[in-house]
Amino acid sequence: MLSPRCTLSKLAPPRHSADLRPRRALTYTFACVLAMAGVLCAGLPAPARADNSPDAALARLLDNARAAAAAPGRCAQPGIDRLVRILCTGRIRIGVRDDYPLFSTHTETTRQGYEVDVAQAIARQLGVDITFTKVKAATRIPLLADDSTDLVIATMGDNTQRETQARFIKPHYYRSETMLVGARDLAAADWEDIRGLTVCVTVGNGSNAELVSRGARLMLFDQAVSLPERLGDQTCTLAAQDDSFFAYYFADPSFASRFSEKIGFAQIPWGMGVARDGSERLGRALDLMSQIFHRDGIFLAAARANHIGTGFLEQQQAVWGRPECNTDTGSTDPACILPPANAELQPTPFAGSVSAFETWFAGSTGFDLLLPMLKTAPAWSLFLNGVLNSLVLIAGALSATLAFALLFGAAMGARSRLLRWPARGITIALQSSPILLTLVIAAAIIHALVPYSSMVALGAAIVALGLSNGSNAGQAISEAYLTLRAERAGLPVDRIDLFSRALGRSVTQIVAFLINAAKGTPIASFIGAPELLSALTDITSFSSGRVTTYTLLLVFYTAVVMAVVWLCRRFQRFLDRSHAVA
Amino acid sequence: MNLPIERLPSNFLPSFLAGITINFEIAGIALALGLTLGVLLAFALLRGGLPGAAAGSVVGLMRAAPTFVVMFFLLNALPRDAGLSGVMIVAMSLVPYAAAYIADAGVDALRQLRAGSPLACYLILPNIARAFFVLVMSSSAGAAIGVPEGVAVILRQAEKLPSLGDMLVLFAIGVACFGIPLQAGFALIRLIQRHLGHIALRNQPKVQTGETAVPIEQ
Repeated sequence: MLSPRCTLSKLAPPRHSADLRPRRALTYTFACVLAMAGVLCAGLPAPARADNSPDAALARLLDNARAAAAAPGRCAQPGIDRLVRILCTGRIRIGVRDDYPLFSTHTETTRQGYEVDVAQAIARQLGVDITFTKVKAATRIPLLADDSTDLVIATMGDNTQRETQARFIKPHYYRSETMLVGARDLAAADWEDIRGLTVCVTVGNGSNAELVSRGARLMLFDQAVSLPERLGDQTCTLAAQDDSFFAYYFADPSFASRFSEKIGFAQIPWGMGVARDGSERLGRALDLMSQIFHRDGIFLAAARANHIGTGFLEQQQAVWGRPECNTDTGSTDPACILPPANAELQPTPFAGSVSAFETWFAGSTGFDLLLPMLKTAPAWSLFLNGVLNSLVLIAGALSATLAFALLFGAAMGARSRLLRWPARGITIALQSSPILLTLVIAAAIIHALVPYSSMVALGAAIVALGLSNGSNAGQAISEAYLTLRAERAGLPVDRIDLFSRALGRSVTQIVAFLINAAKGTPIASFIGAPELLSALTDITSFSSGRVTTYTLLLVFYTAVVMAVVWLCRRFQRFLDRSHAVA
Repeated sequence: MNLPIERLPSNFLPSFLAGITINFEIAGIALALGLTLGVLLAFALLRGGLPGAAAGSVVGLMRAAPTFVVMFFLLNALPRDAGLSGVMIVAMSLVPYAAAYIADAGVDALRQLRAGSPLACYLILPNIARAFFVLVMSSSAGAAIGVPEGVAVILRQAEKLPSLGDMLVLFAIGVACFGIPLQAGFALIRLIQRHLGHIALRNQPKVQTGETAVPIEQ
């Protein structure tokens, strides 16, 4: 505590000159007067200063809005701010979900969950009643835009794309991340363990692109509620969805005893949303409320009451308790708030033309044609690589089929049992194995020898398709060879000439199995080969236009197989002519 | 030391047998639908003219359409409220192959019948049986869309096995379980064909008795 006793003498170095004494005395006196004046000033009441706390700012904002609402005729004016209108009607319309356990569920008589509690806290703060509106993921933003609801609190992730469609309240009221969930005994602690595993996801989930890049094999579903069911019946090895979604299922001891969280990624903040137009005061009021709810632990208490994860909210409570954030400008301070997730995919140079074509096509024919593979750079890249890899795969499968056909044909037609019997055994085994199983076996063996890569998967698929079809074609060659040999019994035999004639005799079968190999190439997607089916499945997992995409895929493969059929027929005619000349 | 087969859970075999039953169920549905469509196409092909040309184009397209892609097309392009189960989607994806094959075999059979060789016409029966076994094998594609058929059961179990050796033993069990009925079925078909061939040769020496080439549909 400051003392009125002057102590400033220590600041001036002592001087021993006699003629300086009167000046020193004057200086000391002046300093002491200043110090005493300062002490006196500190003891007096300070002049009125503006309170920059969020509480005061909210109180001022609500007072102004109430005054506006109370002004005669104001409530009947069109285009008034939604906050004023809410105060005029004494009711706020809040869009919530009906079916998101722990966050917002609706039975005949009650609504409950974290988001419902937040909605009620807001209504209490405003002093109004609530009219709840049911919203779904697809209707959240349109209902705000057409003024069917004032506010949505509906598990809505804040991303750069949605920021252009709705005004998000900052700070965010929750944060989720995508969680990979699988059987407890499944070792999947690292991204490397995920490669090649079947992961069930919902179509359009923004985190699917990440899973694709990690080499997971995606199985698409329309609704998240299908995922736990498919985990239960072992259709999926893993399922990926918001941790908030799985929180409800992990509350069930039976589910928790069978499954566990494996890897969390793609964190996304959740924001309440208001319309971009006509909600300036409402948005500002909610920003300030959100700050206060974090600082005072209101969000945290609601989360605890509803048994959802509280890690993010505890962290936010600390942030909004800091002096630099606990101000009326905190909700715009980048040091205090979280940025929206970046959901923008880089467009292709011709994305505009593609969109124009889609619009023209829809207008001309009445059919919606969506070409997502042409509109964003990642999708275009996946598409191009898919087409290229499919063509490589088809060429490889045809070559391998022909090569294995010759090999098996020669071995099964050989006089030595050491060659003949193993070749027959392998052929019977390959004939008995469904192609999908053959493919998985080939992939398992090759992956045990060399590290996994998409090219290795492509190679494994070529070998499997070649073996499966080549062994059958080889059997046809050997049967033709044996009949030719029987026909020429007792005559001198040139084995190479006989084998060549056997090829001619079995050419129909060889061509049939070559065509079959080409038709079988899309199955390679099952082991993660990056061919077109695999690429388009990945593209549709994070974009729209599934019907168009899979129609184009069917057209592509049918056209390619027809081209292969045409080439094989030419090859067959060439062989027939060669043998006729011979 | 436990043999790998002893390390399989007790519910594996019942699950696997239930899975193989689904394979047979899918093949049965696909064959029934394929027969209906294939017979109509065969009549149209024999009639010639515009219906014949149209049927020829349809059969050509069906022959060229890869089953696996057709399956994904049906899965993603059909409206969700169509309410088709996974089993039905796989079965329908096999219909183009079954119908095209039966149309081809049907044309041969009807030509033989018109030529006055009913026995040669009956050869379509073993060929249909052969197509059925091919469809059983091809129905394993359902594993890719979560249908719990035989291969899907094997693959689920394989993901839990620690070593490649154990996995290969499991795969061998699967191949044997699929292979025994398949090879037995093919052997039976060959016997029937041989028997019919002998009868045909005795009665009408010039009748063709060859098998129709049936590569395993992929």
